[in-house]
Amino acid sequence: MALVGNIRDFSLSDFLSLVDRGYKTGALHLTYHDQTARLYFEKGKLLLAARRPEDEKPELLVRLGVLNADQLAQACRALAARGNGVTLSQVVIDAGMASPERLQSALMGHTEQSVYGLFAWPEGDFVFEHNQRPAPDAPLALTPISIDHLIMEGVRRIDEWERIRDRIPSTDLVPRFLAPPGEKLKGMRLSPDEWKVFARINGRDTLAEIAQKTGLSDFDVCRAVYGFLTAGMLELVKRQRVLAAGMPPVEQPRLKKSLVNRIINRIRSM
Amino acid sequence: MQTVKMVISGAVNAGKTEFIRTISEIEVVSTERRATDDTRLIKKETTVAMDFGRIAISDDLVLHLFGTPGQKRFDFMWEILAEGMLGLVILVDSTRPETFRETNRIIDFFVSYRDTPYVIAANKQDRPNAWSPDELRLALRQPPHIKVLPCTATDRESVKNVLLELLYVIQERSED
Ligand SMILES: Nc1nc2c(ncn2[C@@H]2O[C@H](COP(=O)(O)OP(=O)(O)OP(=O)(O)O)[C@@H](O)[C@H]2O)c(=O)[nH]1
Ligand SMILES: [Mg+2]
Repeated sequence: MALVGNIRDFSLSDFLSLVDRGYKTGALHLTYHDQTARLYFEKGKLLLAARRPEDEKPELLVRLGVLNADQLAQACRALAARGNGVTLSQVVIDAGMASPERLQSALMGHTEQSVYGLFAWPEGDFVFEHNQRPAPDAPLALTPISIDHLIMEGVRRIDEWERIRDRIPSTDLVPRFLAPPGEKLKGMRLSPDEWKVFARINGRDTLAEIAQKTGLSDFDVCRAVYGFLTAGMLELVKRQRVLAAGMPPVEQPRLKKSLVNRIINRIRSM
Repeated sequence: MQTVKMVISGAVNAGKTEFIRTISEIEVVSTERRATDDTRLIKKETTVAMDFGRIAISDDLVLHLFGTPGQKRFDFMWEILAEGMLGLVILVDSTRPETFRETNRIIDFFVSYRDTPYVIAANKQDRPNAWSPDELRLALRQPPHIKVLPCTATDRESVKNVLLELLYVIQERSED
């Protein structure tokens, strides 16, 4: 079943994060007035982002200056001859028409720029079609692109408190890493200010204290932390809970197992 | 007579009233009013104070089901309803991603101060375009140990299943 929504309510960053964490494969179709975009994912990574139908065609490689027209025609013939799951990019590499680095960096740059533009959309309907794959001759990234840093880039463009408050209701909260940060961080390409915030997260200081210690505004600190949250690296906890670490949480009424079993049996029999 | 209480919460129009109606043994006591403000665009009647349903367990034990009002301006009721609850069902309208943020706010409210057992019910699974429980788990960022269950609040077996799954969570924490 397709996933349907609007990026006004469920932001593109949130959606990318969902694709990442869910290792999703499929195509995300976006429309905003007369603009459209299509993003193809494989196991949570980005293969291609097209802002126009032409961006899904082999000719993109000519426009990006990776191939000339003759080479493209030759590559397309070779692709048709080989068929069966081979991608255009692979054919280009196998024929020695471009180095893997050159091809990857051209496609990655194009894909990233295409996605950045989407973050400017204030709204837009989306439909995610599970397992929909690009055409066999589409110019796909040689290595699927990690989306951590796209998520972060989307968050950088947030300029209003309201969006951030959804997840960060107060600056008295304490950010705490869920696991030792590692792999993800590499892909995120943090800015110097974001590094400052990152370096100050110790599981004890509140957001307000981090702002004070780094000399950054509350907003800048919260926005960076929002990015870390969206990337699934952090949780926010209340100060009391941190201080009370090791103490039991607020007492819940503890019930006798026999009583719970009686309720279970009754509901089963209904 | 001992009473135990469960709370059914969730954003406006998630299906709370429906859920309780489907399982309660008595006619549900609802304080429905003609919806005003934005809610009016989605539905005619909305719960303004609470829903109340009941299941008798035995002569000396009764289970009360309380549904919270969905609209934000009735938040004050939540604290009162949450007092001493056994567990919590968070209902989500799986066809409306625009309510997911609000759902997280509600989970936060009930769960951050107390260690309340809860499950999430991905409601309206019978409708086209419903997000699946797995997708809801990702969207709501729920950890793996929290159950996210398929639900159709109009279907009695489905409602029973959600309540039972919550009871199993409560059972694990109960004492011998
Ligand atoms: N198809 C379908 N419709 C449902 C389901 N559950 C609830 N509905 C419908 O969704 C609408 C909202 O249900 P309610 O039970 O009134 O929702 P609520 O959460 O009590 O809403 P508020 O009290 O306004 O917050 C009603 O029209 C229900 O009939 C379901 O599982 N499937
Ligand atoms: Mg209601």
